[in-house]
Amino acid sequence: MKILVPVKQVAIIDEDCEIRDDGKNVDVDFLDYEINEWDNYSWELALNLQETYGENVEIVPLTVGPSEAEDVLLNCLAKGGKRGIRVWDDALVDSDSFAIAQVIAKVAEHENADYVLTGTLSSDYSFAATGMCVAGLLNWAHAAVVSKVDITPDAQQITVNRELEAGIEEEITVESPAVLSIQLGINEPRYASLRGIKQAKAKPIEVMSHKDFGLTDAEVGEMGSLSKVRKMYAPELSQAELIEGTVAEQAKRIAEIVKELKGGA
Amino acid sequence: MINPEHDAQVVTRIVQQDFPLWMSVTFYLAAFISTAIFFYGCFIQVRKYKRGQPFSLTHIKKGIVDMIKDLLSHRTLRRRDRSAGLMHALIFFSFVLLFIGTVTITLDYDILRPITGRMIFWYGEFYLWFSFVLDIAGLAFAIGLLYMMYRRKWMALPKLNYARSDRTQEEPDYDRSWYRFEDWLFLWNLVIIMITGYVLEADRLVWLQDDPTVWDYRWWSPVGTLFAEAMKSMYLTSEGAESFRYFLWWFHALTAFLFVSLLPFTKAKHIFTALVSLVVRNHRSPARLPITDVTAESIGVRSITDFNWKQLLHTDACTKCGRCHEACPANASGFPLSPRDMILSLRELSNNTLQKIKIPEAPLLNVVGDGVNQIRPETLWSCRTCGACQEICPVGIEHVPMMVDIRRALIEEGEMDPAVQTALQNLQKKGNSIGENKRKRAAWTKKLDFDIKDARKEPVDLLWFVGDYASLDPRYQKVCQSFARILRTSGVDFGILFESEMSAGNDVRRVGEEGLFEYLAENNIETLADCDFNRIVTTDPHSFNTLKNEYSELGGNYDVLHATQLVRQMLTDSQIPLARTLSKRVTYHDSCHLGRLNKEYDAPREVLGSIGVEIVEMPRNRDNAFCCGAGGGRIWTPDPIEIEKPSEIRMKEAASIEGIEAFVVNCPKCMNMFEDAVKSTGSDDKLKVIEIIELVENCLVDEVQPL
Amino acid sequence: MNKIMVIAEHRLGELTAATFEVIAAAVGLKRTKKFSVNVAVLASNPAEFSTKLNIAGVDEIIEVQIQENQFQTDTYEAIINSLLDEYAPSVVLTSNSIDAWSCMPTIAAKRQCGFATDVFALNYDGDDLIATRAAYGEKMHVDLEFPGKETVLITLRGNTYKPIEQEDSVPVSSFSAPSVNARTTHKRFIEPETTSDVDIAQAELLLSIGRGIEDEDNIEQFEELADTMGFTLGCSRPIADNGWLPKSRQVGQSGKIVVACNTYLAFGISGSVQHMAGMKHVPNIIAVNTDAEASIFTIAKYGVVADMFEIADELINHFE
Repeated sequence: MKILVPVKQVAIIDEDCEIRDDGKNVDVDFLDYEINEWDNYSWELALNLQETYGENVEIVPLTVGPSEAEDVLLNCLAKGGKRGIRVWDDALVDSDSFAIAQVIAKVAEHENADYVLTGTLSSDYSFAATGMCVAGLLNWAHAAVVSKVDITPDAQQITVNRELEAGIEEEITVESPAVLSIQLGINEPRYASLRGIKQAKAKPIEVMSHKDFGLTDAEVGEMGSLSKVRKMYAPELSQAELIEGTVAEQAKRIAEIVKELKGGA
Repeated sequence: MINPEHDAQVVTRIVQQDFPLWMSVTFYLAAFISTAIFFYGCFIQVRKYKRGQPFSLTHIKKGIVDMIKDLLSHRTLRRRDRSAGLMHALIFFSFVLLFIGTVTITLDYDILRPITGRMIFWYGEFYLWFSFVLDIAGLAFAIGLLYMMYRRKWMALPKLNYARSDRTQEEPDYDRSWYRFEDWLFLWNLVIIMITGYVLEADRLVWLQDDPTVWDYRWWSPVGTLFAEAMKSMYLTSEGAESFRYFLWWFHALTAFLFVSLLPFTKAKHIFTALVSLVVRNHRSPARLPITDVTAESIGVRSITDFNWKQLLHTDACTKCGRCHEACPANASGFPLSPRDMILSLRELSNNTLQKIKIPEAPLLNVVGDGVNQIRPETLWSCRTCGACQEICPVGIEHVPMMVDIRRALIEEGEMDPAVQTALQNLQKKGNSIGENKRKRAAWTKKLDFDIKDARKEPVDLLWFVGDYASLDPRYQKVCQSFARILRTSGVDFGILFESEMSAGNDVRRVGEEGLFEYLAENNIETLADCDFNRIVTTDPHSFNTLKNEYSELGGNYDVLHATQLVRQMLTDSQIPLARTLSKRVTYHDSCHLGRLNKEYDAPREVLGSIGVEIVEMPRNRDNAFCCGAGGGRIWTPDPIEIEKPSEIRMKEAASIEGIEAFVVNCPKCMNMFEDAVKSTGSDDKLKVIEIIELVENCLVDEVQPL
Repeated sequence: MNKIMVIAEHRLGELTAATFEVIAAAVGLKRTKKFSVNVAVLASNPAEFSTKLNIAGVDEIIEVQIQENQFQTDTYEAIINSLLDEYAPSVVLTSNSIDAWSCMPTIAAKRQCGFATDVFALNYDGDDLIATRAAYGEKMHVDLEFPGKETVLITLRGNTYKPIEQEDSVPVSSFSAPSVNARTTHKRFIEPETTSDVDIAQAELLLSIGRGIEDEDNIEQFEELADTMGFTLGCSRPIADNGWLPKSRQVGQSGKIVVACNTYLAFGISGSVQHMAGMKHVPNIIAVNTDAEASIFTIAKYGVVADMFEIADELINHFE
C-alpha cells in the first residue's frame, strides 16, 4: 500500500507587514514559514499506518514549493518515512489550490499511490480545496474533514468518519483508491526533535518540475488557477476604544456593542 | 609510666593468648575466608560499574584533595544537620582510629614479629598510649552509634521516612522493610562489635588480674576497666573470666568478620563508594550539564548500561540519608518525584541486573517503565532541575545530569507532556517558548522614551541578552524597561540583539532536547560573533547560567554578568546616580540559577543594602533557597489542580515573616510564578512581588513613586 | 438572462440555516445585475423542502430526486454537473459547509470553472465577478477575480448574509438525476455525547473570567451573566488550575485557541502572553479590568477600566 501525503509549508505574517509591489500578496521579506498544522495530523496518520503494517506500507511526503519548503519534508522525515518528493518550478508561483492539485495528481499517478492524505485546509489561505481537487483530477472516491480512519492494506473499501457541524459525525465507507482530507485531532502528532531533523537530511528527496509530469506552464501558476488575485489588502483595524463614564453607562454601552455584534453582518 | 621492675617488652597484650594451634589456624582461616568474601564482593561491585559506559576522569588530583578536605572537615555532613554531622564524625574518626589500631597490631604481630622474632613497637609506653586512645575511640564510637539509633528510632525525622511518593502502597516496590532491616543490622552489628570488644577487654583484665604487667596498667584502658570492675563486683573470678573468654573472643571475632564480609553487599559499602563518589564528583553540575554528541546513533539513557561507571557508582554511594528527599520542591508539593527514590531505584535496578554473572536481556535493563525499580516518566517530568538535591548530598551524587540523561531518551522517543511539546515546537519555529512572533521580541522597547542601540549594527560596551520571558511576559517587560532606564541614566553604552536573539536554551537543555539546545546556541553564537562588545549582561538567571557555563563548549566564550552583579559594581563605582534610598523591609528570594547553581548570593543582597532596603531572610535562603517551581520545563507545564505548588509553599514561607512589605525576586520565571502565588495564597494584601531592578530604579527618581 | 444557481443544503431532515443566508446573497446580487436565482434541492423527497424555499427573489426551485436523503459526494457531483450543463449559470453559490468542501472542489477541478471558498463579499466590477475572502488567518483580505471563466463556483462564509424574511410563491420544476456510481456509502450519523462540557473552541461568543474573580463563589454570577447573554463561559489559566472551572473552559496556549470566536468579553483578565495566544485573533474583544495597564487592553477593541463585578451587575439588566 502506498500513501502519498502532500504537506504544505505555509506562510505567516505579523501586523507590520507590507504588500508587495504588484499588490497581490505580502512582500516576501515579511513572511515566516512553518509546516501547515493540519499536515502534521495527516502525516501522523500515515506514520501510524506504517508502524502498524510495517513493510506492507510505504509512506511518502510530497511538497510543492521552493527549496525552503524542504524544511517541511525534513520535519516529516524526522518522524519517519524513507524518502520525500519536492516539486518546483518558477512557473508554479501564485498557484491556487487547483493548480497545486494538478501537480499532486500527477505525482500520485507517477507513484502508483493507493491513497492521498491531505490536511483539511492550510492555515494561510484556508481554501480547504486542494485535496478534493486532487480527487476530481484523479477521479477517485473521496471524503473531506476526516476524523477517524480504518485502513487495512489491500482493502477494497475503508471506513472513515467525517466530522460535520455541531459535533455530529458521519460514518461512511469509501472505495479505494481514495483521497482523504484529514481533520485536526484525529491523533496526536509526535514531536520532531532537532536531532531527528538533522538525521533526516540523510534521507533522499527527489526534486522535480511539473514539466517532468507533462504539465505545461499554462496548466499551473496563475494561468492554471481557477481564481486570480486582483488585490490583497489589510482590512481596517481599529484601536482599543476606551468606554468612559459611570459603571451604568459603561455597562449600557457594552450591551449595545454586544447586541450589535450578535445581530450578524 | 612503666614500672621499672617490669620489662617494657612484656607490657603488651598477647594476641591469641593460650590459643591451641588449631584455634589459631581456624582464626586465620576464618579471616582469610572473610577477606575473600569481602574481595569477591568488591569484585562484583567493580564489575557492575564496568558494565556501564566508559568515562574519563579529569582533575583526579583536585578530586582527591577535595574529598580529603570534605572528609576531614565533615562539611558535607554537618551542613543543615549539625548533630548528625558531629555524631557521624565521632563514628567516622573513631572507626578510622580503631581500624588503624587493628592494622597496627596485624603489622607488628602478624608480619614483623614472625620475620624479626620479636615485637618491634607494640609494647611498653607505645602500647599504653595505644590502649588509651583506642579505648576512648571506642567510647566515641559508642556515643555516635547510640545517638544514631536514637535519631533513627525516636526523632521521627521526615528525611528518614522511607515512604515513597512515586509508588502507591499496593505496589511491590513500595515496601522498604529490607532497607530498614539493613539500617538496623548495620548499626547493631557495629554496636555489638563494640560492646563485645569492651566486654572481652574487661574479661581479659579480670582473667589476668593476678598478672601485674596487665593489672597495674589497667586504667590505660579506662572503659574496659570500668566494665572489669563491674564484672568483679558481680563476683566474676579469674577462673570464671577465663572460662568465658573463648566464647567472648570468638563472638567478637565473628561479628567483626561478618561486618567485613558483608561490607560490599550492604550499606557499609558507602565507606568506599562515598569516598570515590566524592573524588569523582563534578562540582560544576548541574549548572553545567555534560555535553553530548547529538549526531551519535542514540542519545540519552534507555538502559541501565547506558549510564557511565561514575553514575552507577553514584547510585551505590547513597546512604539513604534523605537530605535530597527533604530538599526537593517537587517532592514537597506532592509530585511523584523523590531524588532519593530515583537514585535508589536505579541502584536496585543495577544491582538486580548488573551483579548477575550474565547481564539479562535488554527489556529488563530499561530504566523507564512501570515495573519494579523502573522510573516512571511522570517522576522525571516533575523535576525542576533546581539542584537542591545535588547541593545537599553529602556523598556527591549528581541527580540532575542523570535525570536529564534519561529525559534525553524520552524526548527522542517523543514521550513528553503535550505542553512541553508545544513549547519546544514554538522554540523551533520562533526561537521563543511562548510562540510569539520573532518581531515582537523587542516590542517592550517601544514603551521607552529613548532608543536602545542595536548591538548587531553598532559596537557596544555591554551587550544585554534579554531572554524569552523577560522580553515577552507583560509583567516582566516593566522590569526590562526599568533596567534600560537605569543603564541609560548611568551612561552605560549598551545594546540588545532585538529580534535576532533566540532563547538561550537553558531550559531546553534541561528538558533533554539537546539538538534544539545546540540549534539555539549555535544561532545565538553566530549572531554574537558578528557583534562588537566587551561583556554580556542579563537580568535572566537561566540565560545567565547557560551563556556563562555551557556556551563555551560550542565556541561561545563570553564575560557574562547577571544584572545584580553589574549593578553592584556600578554602585560601588558610584556610576548610578541615586537620588534617594528606600527604607523598606523586604524578604529576598534567591533564584536557583543565580543562587544555588552559580553561587551568587551576595551581589543582590549588597545591592539591596546599598539602596537602603533591609532584608529579613526566609528560613530557607541562599544555598537552601526553595525553588519557585518553574525550572526544568515546568514553566510550560500546567500543575495539577489539587496540589500546593512550590511557589505557594514558598510564598507562605515569606508571608509568615512579620513586618515586611515585599517579596523581592531576581528572575523573570520566579516573578511569573510568584505573581500567581501571591494572589492564590491570599498574600497580596501583605506582600508585593518586586524585582530587585525595579527597586533600584525607584531610587533614580526624585518623586515618590508608589511601588 | 444570467443565472445564479444556489445549491440548497439540508441535514437530518432540516434545511441548514446557511442555505437561507446563501439565498439572501444570491437575491442580493440581483440588485447589481439582471439575474435569475434558481435554487436546486437534492433530496429523497424534495417537495418537503421546496415549501420552505418560497422566498421573495427566488425565481425557480429545482427539485432533484435522489435515492438517499443524506449527502453523498458522487451523487451531488454528478447532479450538479448535469445542472450546470443544463442551466449554465454564471455563478453557483452554496454555503462554506463540510458537505460543500466535500464536493465543490471536485466539481470545479473537473470542469475547470472559476472557484473560491469562504467568500464573504461578492461584487461586480462591470461584468467581472469579484469575490472577497480572507488570507493569513484573517489578517489580510483578498479580492479574487475569474477572467475567462463562464461559470464560477463560490462557497459563502456563514453569519455574513442576513436571511430574507419575506415570502413569495415560487415556481417549481423537476430535474432528473443522472445515474451515479456512488463510491461512498453512508453507515450512520453519530450524535455528540451530551456532556455538560462544551467545546469552547467552537463557540462564537465567549465570556471569559480571570484572576479578578478572586473567589470560586463569585463564578456563579458570571455563569448566569454568560447564560443570559447567550455567551459561552471560558476562563484564564489560574481559574482552571484552581479547579473552579473544568480545564475544557480554559482559553490560552495550554488551554484552547478559540478559533471560532468572534466576540470575546474578558472580565478580570490581565492578559498574560499565554492567555492572549489563545484569543488575540478574535475580531471583537471587550475587556473589563480595574488595572488600566493590563496587557489585554493592548489587543482589545473596546476597553472598560472598571470593577468587573459592578459592570456585571449592571450588564445583566440589559439582557433577558
